[in-house]
Parts: sequence; C-alpha cells; structure tokens
Amino acid sequence: MAGSKIFTRRRDGRVEVRINDYGRSVVRSAFANVLAAERDPEHEWHVSLSGPIDPSLDHDNPTSTLARQTETSTNAELASLTVDEQFLNDAEAWVWLTTLQVALRSTAQTNGLHTDEQLAAADDEMLSYVHMIQSLLFELAACF
Amino acid sequence: MARLGSPLSFHSAVWDTCSMASTQPLRRTTTEGDVQTQDAVETKKPWNVIVWNDPVTPMTVVVVIFKKIFGYSNNKCTQLMLAVHHEGRALVWSGHRERAESYCVKLQVSGLQSTIEQDA
Repeated sequence: MAGSKIFTRRRDGRVEVRINDYGRSVVRSAFANVLAAERDPEHEWHVSLSGPIDPSLDHDNPTSTLARQTETSTNAELASLTVDEQFLNDAEAWVWLTTLQVALRSTAQTNGLHTDEQLAAADDEMLSYVHMIQSLLFELAACF
Repeated sequence: MARLGSPLSFHSAVWDTCSMASTQPLRRTTTEGDVQTQDAVETKKPWNVIVWNDPVTPMTVVVVIFKKIFGYSNNKCTQLMLAVHHEGRALVWSGHRERAESYCVKLQVSGLQSTIEQDA
C-alpha cells in the first residue's frame, strides 16, 4: 500500500519522505556519526571507514584514500543538510542511501557483527537498530 | 594487371614512400627493449575489484549500488549480488589498476566492503 511507505518516488522524480520524529532522529544521528567518524580518527567508526583498498600494500595510494574521505564527507554533509526535508531530489536520495549504508556497516563492524551467527546473537537493542536501518535502506533502494 | 588508382597500387605507393622516407634502422641492435617489454607485460595483468559479503547489507541495496556504479543490467547486478552472498566474495570488475582503484573507492563510499587485487 503506497500510503504506508516511508520513501515514495513521485511523478516529478522527487522522493517523498514520510518518517516520524523518532525515525528522523535516528537518521540524523546516523548521518552525524558518519560525518564525525570521517573527521575524527578517535571516533569508534573511523576504522571501518578507512579499510584497505589494496590489502597487499602497507599503505594505500593517498590520492584514493583522500578521494574516499572527501566523497564520504560530502555525502554525509548533504545528507545531514537535507535530513528534515519532506522531498529529496535524486542526488539527495542517493546520499541518504549511501550514508545510511555506511552507518549500518560501521555499526556492524564496530560491534563485531561479521557473520550471520554473530548478528543473530546480538542483543535486542542492537538488533532493533540494525533492523530499522535495514528497513529504511530497503525502502529507499526501491526508489532507484 | 592492377589498374592505376586501384587500392593495391595506392597501398604499394604509400608503403614505398614511407620506407624510403624512414631514416630509422630496420633492425634493432639491442635486446634491451625486449626485456622491458616482457616486464611491462608482466605488470599488465588485470586488476580485479572484489566485493565482500557482510551480514547486514540488504540485497536490494547491493543491486542498486552495482547498477549505479557500473551501469550493469538488473540481471547481472542480481547475479553478482548472489555470488557475493553465497560465495562470500565476487569479482565485479576487472581492468586497469587506476580504474579498479576508483571503482573500489566508489563502492566503499557507498558502504560496501571492497578491495582490489591483481589477477593471479
């Protein structure tokens, strides 16, 4: 039923966001954490944002790591700036999707959720958070 | 007998002119170039972009990201996503190192776990 969807692609190409205040606060926090993690090496998500590109090397190409850092920050900034919008254009909807996905995977990595078994054994609060971000991503992906 | 202006005679004329105009020796006097070429071939093995499985990323998200980054068909993206899911990893692109690195960065920025490796 279209009325119950959180994200809906409208005829004019925009993505309509129907999310309650709690949902917005979760999304806002996820975007803010990605932005903070990219800038702060002490942030618990920072390691998951700086994984190896070529694991056979001790250090990756600085140009590539800088490109990754810049793109991730730019995406998270645009996502944060549009977090209260009711309608998103294509580029904004895309940065919502990628930044939420980065937040989801960072959460999983930081909490040691590397396998299905580890995920199944996670506590209820963690599972509930993961499921919430997954449902947002699932619905947003359907708009592309 | 070839007619004047036929493709064959035109080709011969051009070839002769070029040969005469060239001041370069026809034979090489060193094999150094051969060794360098062999090394160059060795390093031209393609670089593979690998995407790794994780337990949290929704399958539809992986498909959408592959479509956006590589422009593959829906079918190919779904097959690659299933390969990641069932085999733990999948080769999603292969080619020059610089492009492989660029695709790997785009995948990482989109939240997928990705690395590059040279073809064995």
